[in-house]
Amino acid sequence: MRRLSLGSRLALLFAACTAAVSLTAGLLFSHASKHHFVELDQQLLGARLSQLRSQLAGVDSADKLAARLPALRGELSHQADLALRIRGAEGELWFQSRPGLPEDAVQPGLATLRADSVDYRSLSVPLDEHAEHAAQLTLFLDITHHQHFLQGMQRLIWLTVGLSALATALLGAWAARRGLRPLRQIGEVAASVSAHSLTTRLPVAQMPEELAQLASTVNAMLQRLDDAFQRLSAFSADIAHELRTPLSNLLTHTQVTLTRPRSLEEYREALHGNLEELQWMAQLVNDMLYLAKADHGLLMPNRQPLELAAEVDALLDYYAALAEESDVQLLREGAATIEGDRHMLRRALSNLLDNALRFTPQGGTIKVSLTAGLSITVANTGPAIEAGALQRLFDRFYRADPARREGSSEHAGLGLAITRSIVQAHGGGIRAECEGGWTRFVINLPG
Amino acid sequence: MKLLIVEDQAKTGHYLRQGLSEAGFATELAADGETGLHLALTGDHALLILDVMLPGRDGWQILQAVRQAGLETPVLFLTARDAVEDRVHGLELGADDYLVKPFAFSELLARVRSLLRRGASPSLDTTLTLADLRLDLIRRRAERAGQRIDLTAKEFALLELLLRRQGEVLPKSLIASQVWDMNFDSDTNVIEVAIRRLRLKIDDAHRNKLIHTVRGMGYVLEERQD
Repeated sequence: MRRLSLGSRLALLFAACTAAVSLTAGLLFSHASKHHFVELDQQLLGARLSQLRSQLAGVDSADKLAARLPALRGELSHQADLALRIRGAEGELWFQSRPGLPEDAVQPGLATLRADSVDYRSLSVPLDEHAEHAAQLTLFLDITHHQHFLQGMQRLIWLTVGLSALATALLGAWAARRGLRPLRQIGEVAASVSAHSLTTRLPVAQMPEELAQLASTVNAMLQRLDDAFQRLSAFSADIAHELRTPLSNLLTHTQVTLTRPRSLEEYREALHGNLEELQWMAQLVNDMLYLAKADHGLLMPNRQPLELAAEVDALLDYYAALAEESDVQLLREGAATIEGDRHMLRRALSNLLDNALRFTPQGGTIKVSLTAGLSITVANTGPAIEAGALQRLFDRFYRADPARREGSSEHAGLGLAITRSIVQAHGGGIRAECEGGWTRFVINLPG
Repeated sequence: MKLLIVEDQAKTGHYLRQGLSEAGFATELAADGETGLHLALTGDHALLILDVMLPGRDGWQILQAVRQAGLETPVLFLTARDAVEDRVHGLELGADDYLVKPFAFSELLARVRSLLRRGASPSLDTTLTLADLRLDLIRRRAERAGQRIDLTAKEFALLELLLRRQGEVLPKSLIASQVWDMNFDSDTNVIEVAIRRLRLKIDDAHRNKLIHTVRGMGYVLEERQD
């Protein structure tokens, strides 16, 4: 089932609230009016009764009353909505000013009664306050007009409740529509996003406070998508560029070799030349596939407990001869243990050491420091790298020295990118820094 | 010692067959899964080299059928896909090794030889020799023409590997993996340096060189007539 739209929900809620408020107010008012009428009636009846009592003072039998009846009738005729009943001490009827009055109330005092579809308020008092068994005076007030008024008011209340609910529902729907416009705007922007228009952003400044955070989250997401997309485009372009040089070498070399007959030795040389290019390309493709796997989150470390000191020593042993050749000292300090993938971490550190060896001048030092916390630092002495280049060292195909780019058959510039992917697959991060004649690559890993 | 290659790419199959034949193996080639399975079940093969993606039956199905038929023939997979689950799947089904394209032929050859050797009983030799080069495995001593040569532990391991597999071209990746336990492709020239240093100790003082570089493929230890 389709959920109700946010606008409709808000409108209905507004309407319900208004109805509840106006209904409560109406009921309170109605109750207060009723109460007010009762008080008015009581005052009126009380005043008339005490008047009648003084007029009938001394009457203690039906006969005595008969003598006073003409005056009493005259008195009562002034007020058409009043009626009087007088009963003797034993409850026998002495007088009744008009027929069709309701029975006496069970309790003495003020009561609301009904007879022949006419509403009365009645008040009963003894004729003589001081007598033990006195005749009972009951005065009836016709309150039909009050009831009419109250009924009219109740109708009015219901009408008000209904109309105000309807009005707020409509106004609420309009207000909600207006209020939700920024949401629609987000929707429109999201709908307009495609690979070619990742630069669209939501106007955060114009958004209401509640949506500003959502908008900036969406903007940040768009920014990340844009960055990733730019990198991917650049990556594809770089791949094409990187492959172009060896491919063109292969084409030229092969065609030139075939243009005329050559000696066996020359053919062999040509094939060897081609082989080098091809091996370089194969390495490049394998590295790129490795990175692509990392990009898709498919680089899953096969974790096992590792003594990093032992791993680093094995790597330093591997590179020992090479370092000795270029008169570079290899050192390791500290120790740490980690749950990690042995082959992947060896590869990551190997790339760092390989990189360090490339840039450490003769007589320099490469130092691998381990801290239990957990960090691995590969530091080498050497010329400072400018800050802008430091940021880009982990980018694919980036080489600090552009001259190395063309025709270098040994190094594709993917080593540090692979190292970073491996570190990230282990939930860590890597950064490069340059300070005091040392270049440092610092890997931080969750311990 | 016959090898079966099942590979649907005509060029790849042809090159593999030529390369393995010239390396001294008898080979059979099938270009689709059905033929491949039939040959695998009826012939007597020392090793199966299977492409994963094949028309008819894929490499995994062939492997499964072969294992169900009770054959323990070692299987080497070639694939263009390097997804972890593929690798796991292959190994679960009983594959013995796995090579991802693009691979170097020297690498394939080295793996084939390793797999074929796996079944054989381990050599009980305590000394390895080639010409006047002697390696005493018990006393960890190397001699050339009767003269003692001092080797570091890794140099000893490297020479032992070369001697055990003398006559075989060993790619750099295999040497890195066997001697240093570095199982990844790397473009450093660590192995070149190590070989150069070993040469210095083994070969430089002698006319009869034993360590040879096969350009673009690797290194081989053998006695060559000039």
